[in-house]
Amino acid sequence: MTLRTTAVLAAALALALALPAAAQERPTLVIGSPNFQPLPIAIAAFQGDDPRLAAEVTEVVRADLTLSGLFEVLDPRGFLADPAEGLAAPSIRFARWGDVGAEGLAKARLRRDGEQLAADLHLYEVRAGREALARTHHAPTSDPRLLGHRLADEIVKHYTREPGAFATRIAAIRKSRGLWELVLQDVDGKNPRVLLSERTILLAPAWKPDGREILVTSYRSGRPELWSFRLGDRSFRRLAPIANAIGGVWSPDGTRIAFTASDAGNADVWLMNADGTSPRRLTREPALDLSPAWSPDGKRLAFVSDRAGTPQLYLMNADGSGVRRLTFQGNYNQTPAWSPRGDLIAFTARDERKVFDVFVIAAETGRITRITQDQGRTNEEPTWAPNGRLLAFKTDRNGTGQLVISDPRGDRQTVVANRAGDLGGPVWGPFSQ
Amino acid sequence: MAGPVTALSRRDRMWPAVAASALLHAGLVVWAVVRTPPPPIDLEQKAIVAKLVRLGEKRPEEWLPRKPPEPAPQAVAPPAPAPATPAAPATPAAAPTAPGPAVPKPAAPATAKPGPAPRPGATLASVLSKVRKENPDPVYGDPTGDPGGDAERAEEGDRYLALVDRELRTNYDVPATLTDRERMQLQAVVVLFVEPDGQVSRWRFESRSGNAAFDDALERTLRKLRLPPPPDAQREFYRRTGVAVNFKLS
Repeated sequence: MTLRTTAVLAAALALALALPAAAQERPTLVIGSPNFQPLPIAIAAFQGDDPRLAAEVTEVVRADLTLSGLFEVLDPRGFLADPAEGLAAPSIRFARWGDVGAEGLAKARLRRDGEQLAADLHLYEVRAGREALARTHHAPTSDPRLLGHRLADEIVKHYTREPGAFATRIAAIRKSRGLWELVLQDVDGKNPRVLLSERTILLAPAWKPDGREILVTSYRSGRPELWSFRLGDRSFRRLAPIANAIGGVWSPDGTRIAFTASDAGNADVWLMNADGTSPRRLTREPALDLSPAWSPDGKRLAFVSDRAGTPQLYLMNADGSGVRRLTFQGNYNQTPAWSPRGDLIAFTARDERKVFDVFVIAAETGRITRITQDQGRTNEEPTWAPNGRLLAFKTDRNGTGQLVISDPRGDRQTVVANRAGDLGGPVWGPFSQ
Repeated sequence: MAGPVTALSRRDRMWPAVAASALLHAGLVVWAVVRTPPPPIDLEQKAIVAKLVRLGEKRPEEWLPRKPPEPAPQAVAPPAPAPATPAAPATPAAAPTAPGPAVPKPAAPATAKPGPAPRPGATLASVLSKVRKENPDPVYGDPTGDPGGDAERAEEGDRYLALVDRELRTNYDVPATLTDRERMQLQAVVVLFVEPDGQVSRWRFESRSGNAAFDDALERTLRKLRLPPPPDAQREFYRRTGVAVNFKLS
């Protein structure tokens, strides 16, 4: 074997060995859209001088956290809190809480603080065996449920670093015994109260962003007009003398109101100042344009139009320019509600089986996700929690008008208001109520 | 005559050394190729993943989407490649106020919570809803699809990676408490090394997210992962080179 032959052989060998490795690169998979799993949390029975009160607040917290879809609240029958355990971390047997599957643990002690009810909340990370949070919250003595909601909001905020929405309220119109009532209820469906009772039609409530007023369409004068109910003094006044105006919604900064007004049978989207001045038409199509919904930045509006032959969702700038069609699936899409986060718009649609269900669509990509399916014949009028983490909507599942709270994927849905009567137009209130 | 003989004998003496040198260099080249770490993973470069379209009637594009069917329960519990979790200890006898043995976690609440029992002669809506559940809609796919497929539309690509992709998505669980910002930003890249029987023998984080909750969840996902066996021709490749996975939250 000559020197040249040896060199050629060696080079060929090296090349042969190297080539396969260079030829096939490692593939990379991109995996998104994970399965979001609720965090297992134990809520130990709260302590306090009044055991009944403490039990009530404990139940409110458990129910709220379950409703949030973020937590798997462990069934209290699955564990018995050791009475020797206090609120200080060293006294807590974290291993035993871990044994029952808890990753988080919440405890609280209730006490009276002057005219108020106070709760000292303690939150622990079970695996780390340490206290993660200690906060005190207050509520009027007459409203222990509000205290529970505030504690639940604090726990949500700790884990998500976003405010919880359980201390907010939901407004709706209820038709009962020939009366139209503007009602207010807690997010969990409890504590319902009637704000306004009318013998004429009430429709489409909408919250003012500061939570002090609710805009309603009233037929007091015999035709639809925009009226405002003020929660502070319970006054009810006509906002603007615009006839045939329905479905007013305040802009996120509270300075403008978008609404639908009909002229000779042609409905269009209009805009005016919040005091009812300077009304101007935004759409000018010879088609029905209605149900405006503000984007959270106040720059755009989603609305419904049948200009393409069937009711579809459209987007436009707040000055009426830049109209574009958003939905191309379904032939009866309505009641858009823009998420406070800005990315999603929830809406009602009738599917090919003539069933109304709730969907969400990504405002930028147009991708539609179904929220309800085979859950009654009608699921409609979605409204977003102010933190954008939950949806509420009306349903007829199980046969009665009900309100459902759902996560934005529809994976966890809870009926919160049974026997709500003929409930319509639920609107979730802002944080500042 | 002495000159050529001397030159020849010198060449004869040198060639083993030269040959050894050449072999040594060849070995070095091979070693370098084998040992050199692969180039940085290009996160923008996606593997082409085939989606196995199911056999069935085509769903009209103008119809609203249906919810994806619930994944079928896994028949075989895969052996975990990572150290097995120790068995749950018995309840310590020393606990004087012990409430008894730790009771297993209750079933998931909320969603399973039944509403009130429908009244006799309940409304049309509830009846229709029941009928619909008992007679589910046709499953849509493609007339030329695969009976084992699970997608409504076909996409061409690597069939094995499609199976890996599906398995990863099925097992990809993260805490629901992650914030919006985290959902937008967090990602991690893991290289999985797959044995011929599909077991993930080891994995290596190319980059972690830096978020303990997310990274822990990924570790749990990887521990319970069992992939389908790679095709015969690629067994060695997936065992030695592996497949990189870029886990995202959005």
